[in-house]
Amino acid sequence: MSNVIKFSFKHIIPLSRCSYVRTKSTCLLNIKGYSSKAATTDSDVFDNFTDWETLSKTKKISKAMRAYLERAKEHDEFMKKQQFEFSIGKRHLANMMGEDPETFTQKDVDRAIEYLFPSGIYDPAARPLMKPPEEVFPARKAAEFDEAGRPHHFLFYTGKPNFFKLLYDAAENIQFLYKFEDKVIRKKETPYPNQNLDLSNTVWFTKDQLEQHLVEKLTDLEYENFKLVMERLISLPYSYQFKDFIEKFRKTLTSQKFALEIPKPNFDEDGRAYVTTYECLRKKARGDVTIRSPGTGKIIINGKDITYFEDTQSREQVIFPLIFTGMQNKVDVECNIEGGGPSGQSGAIRWGIAWGLRSFVDKNMLEAMQVAGLLTRDHRRRERKKPGQPGARKKPTWKRR
Amino acid sequence: MLPRFICSTGKNGLSILKNNSTFAQAVQQKSEVSEDNLPKRKNPLEHPDYFQVHNLFTVKDLFDARVHFGHKEGSLNEFMTPYLYGSRLGHLIFDLDVTAEHLRKALNFTAHIAYRGGIICFFNRNALNAHLVEKTAQECGEYAHTRFWRGGIFTNANHQFGAITRLPDLCIFLNTQNNILNQHTAVRDSAKMLIPTVGIVDSNCNPNLITYPVPGNDDTPSAIELYCKLFKAAILRGKEERMKLLQESE
Repeated sequence: MSNVIKFSFKHIIPLSRCSYVRTKSTCLLNIKGYSSKAATTDSDVFDNFTDWETLSKTKKISKAMRAYLERAKEHDEFMKKQQFEFSIGKRHLANMMGEDPETFTQKDVDRAIEYLFPSGIYDPAARPLMKPPEEVFPARKAAEFDEAGRPHHFLFYTGKPNFFKLLYDAAENIQFLYKFEDKVIRKKETPYPNQNLDLSNTVWFTKDQLEQHLVEKLTDLEYENFKLVMERLISLPYSYQFKDFIEKFRKTLTSQKFALEIPKPNFDEDGRAYVTTYECLRKKARGDVTIRSPGTGKIIINGKDITYFEDTQSREQVIFPLIFTGMQNKVDVECNIEGGGPSGQSGAIRWGIAWGLRSFVDKNMLEAMQVAGLLTRDHRRRERKKPGQPGARKKPTWKRR
Repeated sequence: MLPRFICSTGKNGLSILKNNSTFAQAVQQKSEVSEDNLPKRKNPLEHPDYFQVHNLFTVKDLFDARVHFGHKEGSLNEFMTPYLYGSRLGHLIFDLDVTAEHLRKALNFTAHIAYRGGIICFFNRNALNAHLVEKTAQECGEYAHTRFWRGGIFTNANHQFGAITRLPDLCIFLNTQNNILNQHTAVRDSAKMLIPTVGIVDSNCNPNLITYPVPGNDDTPSAIELYCKLFKAAILRGKEERMKLLQESE
């Protein structure tokens, strides 16, 4: 058998080689013939060129656009498939939970997933989820160029068109203001004194915020340049003319505003003013505190008086804000508290009383309370125990050997 | 991208222009010729100056815009010697007749590119003039890059922009230097990618990699203003012709 195979192979190989060479030579011949035919005069070449793609009537789609369209089509198909799978999965889930698949909302889905796949993972992002595909897969960037491949943005080739457009606009505004100032000086007019730019309660976007606003990644140097050019713009005397442009890149300081919002007290049947502070949190304790004024200094904690706390430290904690503001005999305090231990509960009540007393004290006292730290939430929580050691920080006794 | 030999034919066509461009008589003659040609819609490339860019400026305009001022003698790039008129008080002075001839060639080429719907990108690394250049680019519907050049924008475009990207068909450098010591990397990259370039080259710049070098002052704002005005006018003329042609063919 082997002989036969060898024999056949011997015959085949030279044959194939021959054919290969032959095809090659014909190819060469063809090329020669073609080239001799293709040798044309200069005028022909010009005619060919005057009739080329962008000048011809039928608009050709550029390579860049074709590639983009292909990608977009692929993405669309993928999304369609995902959408289909999601709707099927949702119906299954509804059936599993014994509910009507037609009226099964996203909220129900989340609840069902939490029930069916209970997870002790701390980070919510790592827990199992079932969301519509539009939320799971990030949106694709739209095409930045037209059919002929021409970019839409005049600074496209810089790679960060939005950011550099911002710098360009700022420079444009600065130049406008320079000219405007010159004009005012030349006409010897006085500016309106009341038209000023008040930027005291706003700050510039941070780098992350600016990046989010522009949808472009920035370097530190570029962010510095942004701040530099905007500071230059607002330092000019007539910068109020571009208030809208400037405020687009500033963020209001909300925390200050929040502290100023002091609730007005309500009135109960007896005609006494009262303020209830909900969500008084400290460590694991949570509760609510109601302050009534005028009162006699009565303190009720979960139906008991101040002896609810056995140690003096906790009792001191509770009455500290009252003593600090001098209201210990002017208001009644009623609180419901649960969870945590005595120190957590007393801390939560202390913060709740202080927070509620804001409605009954004057402005100076409010500032004093702020300075004393009565209005600051204590966000510290219990630190978890680490494996390999007895506590959060505690280590086993160290022995040399 | 446009094939290379358009450039060469453009050069040949302009040889007539080269000889008598600065004379007013020649201008008249040519406008008559063009009027005969236009109704027939002959090939624009056969015409020496289809877009009439020669009447955009005079040598006097160049002089008034201080285009003739070069740098100091010591910084001379020896490839720039043919364009010089001489030196005064240690400063080199350009021969504006030579400059005008080169500038007309460059403007003609720019108008042709605009006529064919090419992408034109303006470059300038001088912060003083950057805003003006960007503004010009925006006004004539073209593109500008006056910022730090990240390597590979041309040579690695698909990666840089995250998709297949059409590169410019003509780069206009209002200033070919990146700083006083180094040439702009885009000059080299354009040459690598066979993108034709027009560049204003001062006496300290190397004109070798520029397809259409224009010897002249590249620092003074008045000169840059003039160049911007001229290139804008040339591009707009090209685009105007293009619109006419597209309307006719429809």
